Amino acid sequence: MGFMMENEHDQVHCCAVGLEPYDQTYSLGYKVGHEDWSPYPRVNRLRKTFLDRPYNIDNERFRNVTEAYKENENCTAIIRCAKAFEKILMNATLEIYDDDLILGEIAAPAKASPQYPEFSVNWMLHEVLHEPFEEREHDQYYFVSEEDRQEFIDLCQYWKGKTVEDLANASLDDEMTKGSQTGKKIFQTNLYHYGGVGHFVMDYARILREGFDGMIAKAREGLSGIDKVDPDYAEKRDFYEAVIICHEAAKKYILRYAALAEEKAAAEQDPKRKEELLMMAENSRQVAGGPAKTFWQALQLFNYATTLTLIESNGHSVSYGRMDQWLYPYYEADMKNGTISKEFAQELLEVTYVKMNNPTKVRDGGTAKVRQGRGFGGECLTIGGVDREGNDVTNDLTMMLLDASVHTRMMCPWLLVRMHENTPYEVKVKTVECIRAGYGHPKIFNDEPTIKAMMRKGMSLEEARDYAVVGCVEPNLPGKEYGWHDGSYINTVKFMEMVLNGGRCLDCGPHCVRWEKCGALGEHLGPDTGSLETYQSFDEVLESVDKQFKYWADQMCGTMNIVDKAHRARKPLPYVSAFFEDTFTSGKDISAGGAKYNGIGPQASGLATCADTLAAIKQLVFEEKRYTGAELLQAVKDNWEGHEVLYALVNSPKVHHYGNDDDYADELFKFMFECYCRNLSGRPTPRGGSFTPGVYSVSANVGMGLNTNASLDGRKAGEAISDNMGPVHTDAGAHDIYGPTALANSVAKVDHSLATNGTLLNVKFPQEAVAGVEGRDNLVSFIDEYLSKKPMHIQFNIMSSATMRAAQKKPEDYKDMLVRVAGYSAYFVELGKALQKDLIQRTELHF
Amino acid sequence: MSQKGNIFNVQRFTIHDGPGMRTELFLKGCPLRCLWCSNPESQNAFIEPGVYRKKCISHKKCGVCESACPEEGVLNFYRGKLVSIDRSRCTNCMECEKVCPSEAVKQWGKWMTVEECMQIIRKDKGYYDRSGGGVTVSGGEPLLQSDFVAELFEACHAEGIHTCCESTFCMDWKEIQKVLPHTDLLISDIKHMDSKIHKKYTGVPNTKILKNLKRLAKEGYEMVLRIPVIPQVNDDMDNIKATADFILEELGEKVRTLQLLSFMRLGVEKYESLGMPYGMEDIKVNRRSFQKHVGEIAEYFNSRGIHCVVGTKEKE
Repeated sequence: MGFMMENEHDQVHCCAVGLEPYDQTYSLGYKVGHEDWSPYPRVNRLRKTFLDRPYNIDNERFRNVTEAYKENENCTAIIRCAKAFEKILMNATLEIYDDDLILGEIAAPAKASPQYPEFSVNWMLHEVLHEPFEEREHDQYYFVSEEDRQEFIDLCQYWKGKTVEDLANASLDDEMTKGSQTGKKIFQTNLYHYGGVGHFVMDYARILREGFDGMIAKAREGLSGIDKVDPDYAEKRDFYEAVIICHEAAKKYILRYAALAEEKAAAEQDPKRKEELLMMAENSRQVAGGPAKTFWQALQLFNYATTLTLIESNGHSVSYGRMDQWLYPYYEADMKNGTISKEFAQELLEVTYVKMNNPTKVRDGGTAKVRQGRGFGGECLTIGGVDREGNDVTNDLTMMLLDASVHTRMMCPWLLVRMHENTPYEVKVKTVECIRAGYGHPKIFNDEPTIKAMMRKGMSLEEARDYAVVGCVEPNLPGKEYGWHDGSYINTVKFMEMVLNGGRCLDCGPHCVRWEKCGALGEHLGPDTGSLETYQSFDEVLESVDKQFKYWADQMCGTMNIVDKAHRARKPLPYVSAFFEDTFTSGKDISAGGAKYNGIGPQASGLATCADTLAAIKQLVFEEKRYTGAELLQAVKDNWEGHEVLYALVNSPKVHHYGNDDDYADELFKFMFECYCRNLSGRPTPRGGSFTPGVYSVSANVGMGLNTNASLDGRKAGEAISDNMGPVHTDAGAHDIYGPTALANSVAKVDHSLATNGTLLNVKFPQEAVAGVEGRDNLVSFIDEYLSKKPMHIQFNIMSSATMRAAQKKPEDYKDMLVRVAGYSAYFVELGKALQKDLIQRTELHF
Repeated sequence: MSQKGNIFNVQRFTIHDGPGMRTELFLKGCPLRCLWCSNPESQNAFIEPGVYRKKCISHKKCGVCESACPEEGVLNFYRGKLVSIDRSRCTNCMECEKVCPSEAVKQWGKWMTVEECMQIIRKDKGYYDRSGGGVTVSGGEPLLQSDFVAELFEACHAEGIHTCCESTFCMDWKEIQKVLPHTDLLISDIKHMDSKIHKKYTGVPNTKILKNLKRLAKEGYEMVLRIPVIPQVNDDMDNIKATADFILEELGEKVRTLQLLSFMRLGVEKYESLGMPYGMEDIKVNRRSFQKHVGEIAEYFNSRGIHCVVGTKEKE
């Protein structure tokens, strides 16, 4: 009888093996009170120590950088930066923690935040005096003493007028700032306006192979090759010299660690620990200048090279690249010659993972509101994918790095698995086992559309295949691309207010801070591109959207260009520039365009809110003619009060909504997506690259919603706008009601490769849906089929809203409960109330 | 292609009724009236409205349903909100539902052609193929609309989609026979082995059901059987033993899995929306000891050589 299923989807297999079987089941969803996820007691101890340690503010870097700047006021900026870097490294108090096997912090004790006044002090001073870090609703930091607080205030004084922010502000005009974080928050450039940029992947393979001596040799070679005929001679000379100063300082700093380890070893009673300390000293002496020779040394050099970057600048999302690839030669060699066991290699990976959590940074309060979590953030670690020829790259380390993730279950690293049509079944199963353990890692990236996106940025196919992800979802070419990913948060729902209301905010009135120079004079915030009272056809609405997008993109990109130039002028990055090979050819720092690819990548939020807004207008005004445009406009101006029928209707399935595999609304989402991408792509950046649009909001959709008036998708003022590529969920209910396949199909209808700065989709599954062998297999199949439709990314929260509510009630019991926020995972109990609510509300999908 | 089915829900991506990821169509109308029924909206074969008072935005602010209703005083309001419909006078014309902006009135049942169903089903074809899933019809009793199901399943098979029919099998053989050529898997319940008790709780004796199951097994059709385990109704060991005997003696190998579905207080809100009393109001369950008991029942079946699981999965 019956009918046989044909299986067109045979799985590919691999022989890579981690420490544990590929199909080892860990747990289903978050389990309270576990401190023994790792088979290594040392790792569990290190993890617990980390969790129990407070978040402090540390002034040491602040003090040293201030002194160095005072001493070198007459130098060029790049030399001053190099000398400051050297001063910090020579004076940093070094720590070696119990149990640790890898050395190197960010010139501050673990989990304490150093200060980076080079970028901005205005907010630091304002907040320390008026909005203390320790009194924040979330993301609190603590001064160790009252003296420290006073020193912090005193040190700020020197920097007034000398920072990146001050220089940028001097160039900005009112038309640019009226929409920024200091104005109406239509776009927010906070991150790089007030802090470092980061968001790159160093070429770790080269670092491990050539060591700091290799970098210094390259710089000397560059220095000897420049010609005084060259009008940029002095800039190039200073660049090479600055690189040499930084890397010589790095070597000395590492040798200081070696000496400290030896000193500690001499005093150590426990012979086993003594031996470990001596090994760490030996490793440090080797990698102080030379290349890594062993697996352990490779991890040690990796940690020094990375933490030094975070000492130079507080830019975050300094990501680890394709670790299973660049680390593999060392693993392979040590395994082959029998100098390491797989068990110890695994322990070292897990120790390194825990260590990755130590760096933290105080963000300005405005940024903290939209982007919560106290870690540096964005430490994406990429595994899997294809090589430059297109072949799968899975090896033992791919599996071991997944094992390490589920054994540590911490915020860092942000593990990411690249998948493609030949990804081995074993990798998929292990990935799904980690996902359903419910701690928010790993996320999944899809090679095909991502490679296409890389090629849109001008890269060759071979280069494109070598992408790694930075931060949340930003594809990046290690050692070649300084992409200013995460450049600016864009609230597209505010654009839409201008579309509906003739270029004015919906709540335009005397309460507004800009009233005197705007509304009171009969001016508009944005251009008057029509209003719901005047549009004669739906096409006119769409044209108006396009015009507003262009106008605001002009303001935002103009702002970003100014900020970019301020970084170049005031805070070059000679230490890290050495890890971008092309800088040695051009003699230019990465802040001056020395990398090969030089984009700026802002990211949009609220596209679904806009799409459902358009659906309501199209359907109710222009097709069914049940309402006039003026009536809709009045409803949102009144924040829906007195318009209950319309409010219920736009929140009901009787109006088309994005996320339901319904072409009507999905086409409008596509319009929004393409309109946004079109208005950003290709604009030139000061470093010789182009702007790259991203569609992800991290958690900014919550903070942005607080400043946004009601919208026609049925959102009331202050509610979160839609997140990332996700559908609308208002207080009246979720707009996607047909489950995960319908949502996935909707999301996959746009060409994700247009968003060259990445796209992001969060999907929340209840635990019972992924339980058992069938649940695991279904999730594997779901991911396979979804990826075959060419979207860029997906990540899962396997978490019940009941667990989250329980954690709200008893936060002390849920201290280590990670939730996937968007591109990153954060400790749930440390998040603000509004974001907690948003996470609970995001559609809990049912099978 | 001429058949239309009366369908009250099309649920995409279900994983409970049949293998893999599936699209499930719930058909309206049922010959049984199980007291524990969790889909009371499935029972009547006609299209009818359900009322959700919590969603009503109030007569004062809206009131469009009352204006739309062709009868006087059929819609009942309490404290300004629509709370119920006088079912004795309602003609199920659904005018109230058409105008309601808030889903306070929901339409249960919709006539859909096979092609309309296929348009939805096709959207997830890739998910079925990869997971070994497909389409399931359930209800209500789908075989009350056997011509429609037969045509739908034929259309599924023409496109390489696996089909599963969940039925009470309280139907004449000639209706069952129509769908068999294009059915890949059958799911059915054994609610009680004692026909009198069966009639007491479901409204019908079990004779026809058991006879049909025997015949299906004899003719070689593979099935997944379920027992909705209801405390104090069918969870006594006498009944469990009788069920095991029946399966072993009459159905044998054709039962690939026996699933125990523990009683849950589901659908209470739906009863209220339909103005129906909830028959299980008096049943009190100690969840922990009941779950333990269900586990023991599963152990018993397994000890008799019947592959039995708690829940809707087949493995483990």
